This record gives sequence, C-alpha cells and structure tokens, in this order.
Amino acid sequence: MSLTHINHRGEAHMVDVGDKSVTSRSATATGFITMQPNTLQLLVDGALPKGDVLATARIAGIQAAKRTSDLIPLCHPLPLTHVSIDMDIDMTKGGIHVMATCRTDGKTGVEMEALTAVSATCLTLFDMCKAVDRRMVIGDIRVNEKTGGKSGSWSREDTVAPGNAVPEEKEDAAGSSMSTALLCVRFFGEARDHARAGMLDINIEAVEPLTVAGLKACLIARGDFDPSRLQAGRLMVAVNQKMTSEDHLLSPGDEVAFFPPVTGG
Amino acid sequence: MIRIQQEPFDVSHEYDVLVGETGSIGAVVSFVGRVRDLADEQVCGLTLEHYPGMTESVLAELVDDAMIRWSLEGVSVIHRTGYLGRGEDIVLVMTASAHRHAAFESCDYIMDHLKTRAPFWKKEHTQEEVCWVAAKELDDKAVSRWRDK
Repeated sequence: MSLTHINHRGEAHMVDVGDKSVTSRSATATGFITMQPNTLQLLVDGALPKGDVLATARIAGIQAAKRTSDLIPLCHPLPLTHVSIDMDIDMTKGGIHVMATCRTDGKTGVEMEALTAVSATCLTLFDMCKAVDRRMVIGDIRVNEKTGGKSGSWSREDTVAPGNAVPEEKEDAAGSSMSTALLCVRFFGEARDHARAGMLDINIEAVEPLTVAGLKACLIARGDFDPSRLQAGRLMVAVNQKMTSEDHLLSPGDEVAFFPPVTGG
Repeated sequence: MIRIQQEPFDVSHEYDVLVGETGSIGAVVSFVGRVRDLADEQVCGLTLEHYPGMTESVLAELVDDAMIRWSLEGVSVIHRTGYLGRGEDIVLVMTASAHRHAAFESCDYIMDHLKTRAPFWKKEHTQEEVCWVAAKELDDKAVSRWRDK
C-alpha cells in the first residue's frame, strides 16, 4: 500500500478524483474531552459564563466539517449532505463523548470532515469551559466507521485482529498502564449461569456502537451470553461498579457487569 | 463500619463495638435478617454471592446518605455471603443516635436501600431444587417511599 497524497517524486499532491465514481458516502468519528466533575455539573446546569455550551459546540462542529478543505492542505472540497454532532455527558468517566457523522454524495470520503467536526466540537467545549477548568484534556479522536467508495464499508470492529492491533494511545494524561483496548465483562447471579464464563475480556474493536447495548449485542452474537434464558425479567448493568443504563457509552478499560435485580438482605 | 464476611456475627459484640465509650448515644436499633422457610416449603439454606468492590462502595454510599438525613452517632452494616443454613443470620444493620426516631428510621432506610441497590444475589436450596431468588416488587415500593420524605 502506498500513500496517495505523495506523488512519484515524493512530493505532496492532491489526488485526481475526476475518474472516481460518485457514491453515497458516510463516516463517523468520535473523541472524548476530560473535565473536572464541577465543570461538568456547571455545564449541565447551564451555569457557565459563556452560555449554552453544547449548542455552541454543536454548531462549531458542523461549521468546521464544511470548511475541512480549507484547513487540511490536500483535502478536496466536497458538498456535504448531512452533518450530525452528538455529545454525551459521562459523569462516571468525567467528560463528554463527542461523535460526528458526515455524509455526502461524492467522489471522495468524508472521514476528514468527521474528524474535523469532532476536533472543532472538542475545541469549542474547551473554549467555553476554560474559564473554570484549565486541566481539560482532549483525546481519543478517531474514525470508527466509513461507508461508500472503492474500499466499501469499513469499521474498526472488522479490521483489527487480536495480536495485530495498533497499540492504543494512552487514554488520558494520567495514562494507565493496563491494556486499554479491552473491556472487562463480568456476570453475576443468574446472569452468570447463561454466560460462557464469569469474566470475559472483549476487544473494544468488536463493539459497535461502543455502548452497553452494543456490547450486549456483541456478546449475544458471539454466543458468550444468552440473556433470553433469564428467569429474572430484567437485566441490570453496572459500568465501573456503578449502576447505569444500556445507552451508557463505553471507554477502553471499562469494567461492565451484567446481573439480574439484586436480592440481598 | 461495613463488613462482608462468611463467618457468623455476634450481635452483642457488634453492639459493644458500636456503642463503645460514646456517652451521647441514647438509642440503638438493630435489624437482623435471617434465612427462613418459604411460604409453602421448608428451605434448607441459601447461597449468597456478591460483587466484591461494588458491594462495599454501594453500602458506604447508603450509610453516608443515612448520615446526611439523620443525626447519627454510628452505623454498622455486616452482610454474610456463601452458604447459609436455615435459621442462620444473613445481615445486621445497627444504627445509633441520641434519640430513637433517627435510629429507627435510618435502620429502615438502610435496609430498604440495601435490598434494592447492593449487589447481592441469593440462591435458595429446598429439598426439591436450587433456584435463584427473584426480586420483589414490594422491595421497590418500600424504597420509593423514601423519595417523598
């Protein structure tokens, strides 16, 4: 494989896409900005000095996606048909998950647009909150999925083989030494009776979307867990030992436990 | 004081530990949960399992919440795990305060929340079978009444 932005003389050049066919394309990128719990609370309460942080950051992400070709030297301008920015406040991890999806009908992919949207959203969150929190960290910006074009659909889940994985970057400034590409999944009570083992390590690349619900679907698809056999009506979940819900976004290194409603005492 | 243990506990010893030399304690309430028979069948025993780490932090939160709601001098929560035979003690919650209402109510509060939030699971052993105990809707109702207070 060669780098398409370098020509035969080793110079940077813009790829001629004139002969490429027009297809419907999309790309999704994600990132995470770490904040102090107090900052997050102020943000939730709408009490930050610069006003509605999330709405402003969302607009920044959309605007940035449209101007990607102005920022990235060899990136083609293209007409975006759709940009969406989702932000999810995560009190447990202490930060905000940012996800951007871009779509176009065109000759080149939109992953640079999605990455730029995530970056600008994070930068705007930083700008809006920096008066109360200077220790914020922006990180973990990556493409998770793209569709359309010559290479067809691509997602992290399909491409990274265990042992052949690109080493994960440190999760945050504190940087844990444990393997960050794994989720530790545990089962308790009756749920363990219907799981392959009481404890499993799942490569994060296999989970799409990266939520509790996505993880559950992945476990069921792999035959690791069969919640349909539960006598207990409900399945509960805890992430990092705190009860939560299925839409909870996961991060590398999370411990996720599934169990039926508790019956102690 | 919060403890998860397999061994039995001694209520009078725990009382002495909780009260100690504290002269300001005017009331102590203790609740003990036990392994009992089912409505229509004799039970041989229970197996109790829990989620180490999360259990301790949930119980610590419950005790902290109770300390905020009532003026308490001390709280002990001991929960046993493993196999427990018929008639054995499962759990002890003991609260100490200057006046009785705080001790009664906080003990009730901690038990209601322990039953719905602390990650313990019971398996019941009878002559016929071994099966997981189902969560009771009554326990959810019991805990919801504290939200209005």
